[in-house]
Amino acid sequence: MTVAEDISADPAEPAHRRARVWPVRRMLLATLTTGIVILCVVPFLLVFAISFGRKIDGAAWVWDFTLENYQRFFVGILWPEEVTFLYLQQLGYSFYFAVIASLLAVATALPFTLLLTRLKRSAQAIWLVFIMSSLSLSEVFIVMGWDILLSNNSGLPKLFKETGLTQWLKDVGWFQQLRDWGLANPRNVKFKTSDFATILTMSYLVWPYAVILLYPALSRLDPSLNEAARTMGAGRWTVTRTVTLPSIRLPLFGTTLLLFVFLLGTYVSVTVFAAPNKHTTAVAIYANIRGANLNAPFGATQAIMLLLSASVCLYLGHLFNKRADAR
Amino acid sequence: MKALGTIYMALAALVLALPIVVVCGAALNSGRSMFFPPQDPTLARFGEFFVSEPVWTNALWNSVIVAVGAATLAVLLAWPIAYLLWSTGTKLSKTLAGLGSLPFAVPPIVFGVGLGFFWGFTGGLGDIWAGVISHAILLMALPLVTISIGLQSIDRSHLDAAATMGATEQVAFQTVVLPQTVPYTISGFFFVLVLSFNEFIVIFFVSASSYATVTLQIFNSLRNGYTPTMAVAAITFLVVSVLVFSAVARWGDLPRLMGADQSRK
Repeated sequence: MTVAEDISADPAEPAHRRARVWPVRRMLLATLTTGIVILCVVPFLLVFAISFGRKIDGAAWVWDFTLENYQRFFVGILWPEEVTFLYLQQLGYSFYFAVIASLLAVATALPFTLLLTRLKRSAQAIWLVFIMSSLSLSEVFIVMGWDILLSNNSGLPKLFKETGLTQWLKDVGWFQQLRDWGLANPRNVKFKTSDFATILTMSYLVWPYAVILLYPALSRLDPSLNEAARTMGAGRWTVTRTVTLPSIRLPLFGTTLLLFVFLLGTYVSVTVFAAPNKHTTAVAIYANIRGANLNAPFGATQAIMLLLSASVCLYLGHLFNKRADAR
Repeated sequence: MKALGTIYMALAALVLALPIVVVCGAALNSGRSMFFPPQDPTLARFGEFFVSEPVWTNALWNSVIVAVGAATLAVLLAWPIAYLLWSTGTKLSKTLAGLGSLPFAVPPIVFGVGLGFFWGFTGGLGDIWAGVISHAILLMALPLVTISIGLQSIDRSHLDAAATMGATEQVAFQTVVLPQTVPYTISGFFFVLVLSFNEFIVIFFVSASSYATVTLQIFNSLRNGYTPTMAVAAITFLVVSVLVFSAVARWGDLPRLMGADQSRK
């Protein structure tokens, strides 16, 4: 057999096989595409479509094309006679909790992850198992744990009282300060309900995510850069400030943004720990769709607004990244 | 300085473990209410959770069905997409991968609301199979990522070698691609399993209160006051997570899956 024969035989054979295999492949691909589009896209389209629907008093809702729900979201249902920013305020609280909690999580996870990447590979794996386990832990469990820790009868407040810490706080006069912050009642410290408890739990919730997201970038940091800076006489803090931080600026920013977007929709922590007047859009969405209000179209509108806010933030982050890259 | 670092890591571990320890301790209470430290420790709650109380045994069973079903389905959906993306890199495969990751990328409550409507129209609302599909779609992004990492780790020269030696695409797939990606597929499966076990908000919307998984049951009990049995559920889940991730770390390469630099050991 010559080489030429070999070559000429080669293309013919796959063509023959292709004819047999392709219809099956195509059908599989078509089914897959249809399935993915229906299940991943249609639910979002439904939310969008229903956000223009209309609620019927004492019944469910009907399809419609009204902007009433959006008007209600921004200025209230009675506008222009009466204006209320209640729903915008709820969205504001969503942002408030999410921003502080994500910043806190990243700020505390950064030194930890940096230290983690300097450990031996086997030690890293053990830490990662621990972190992944706590990452996968349901929000419900986490809230339950902090609820026990922060509740007045069994948790930290009781500890404060029994150890005399409450009395000491009263003696040195800091107790009044805690009361001003809403972290104490006349008798003892209290953490439920408070912004402190909400932010603490939310930040705890995403802390493992912060570590996991920062880990790849930090583990790729070139140690020789640090060593070079150290050799040239830079102190440890100077190295961190001038070498490490600038080189991980983008992952740092990206991580904070992702955690923030994730936290925008937090439900359980807010219902349990936040004061009712500080409840967020996520809580309102539930109340409208499955809870007491039964106003699915307005719930859908709020969900769309939440999604829109998240997308705008992600897009701005993308722009920022691009500009930083270009520089 | 080194000591300071160790202290910081220990402190982080302590705070991370604190609520978990408290929940575990609370499970040992003998009475009907939660105390920490536990009063009159007993293991009776474990019996209630696994054997005697139908509310919890049903919930546990539902959780297992949803998690195992969702993990299987998610892997089955993610495999062809990841394979297409890797072998052809066509626009279609990129779009499919993007759409498949979409539900995981948006705030889960929005996807939960959407699925609630979707199953309402298609008649799956409150059925457990709808819960399985919902979780599979939500978490499909995870096996998509792990399988893609696995496929990228295949040395293309092995495929060329196989092709040179006359292996058809199918044979090369079975002898080269499949064996090398098995650990990554299993990791993806387990990630979905654990996250589905612990997922709350999406299943909250699609179950429509007609069945309860363990997380839903715990949330329901949160409103009626705590019972120590809930804490047993938390322990069970935690043990499952630790076992699963230890298995992934032992047989897969967890640092690599998490994106660690390969050149350094």
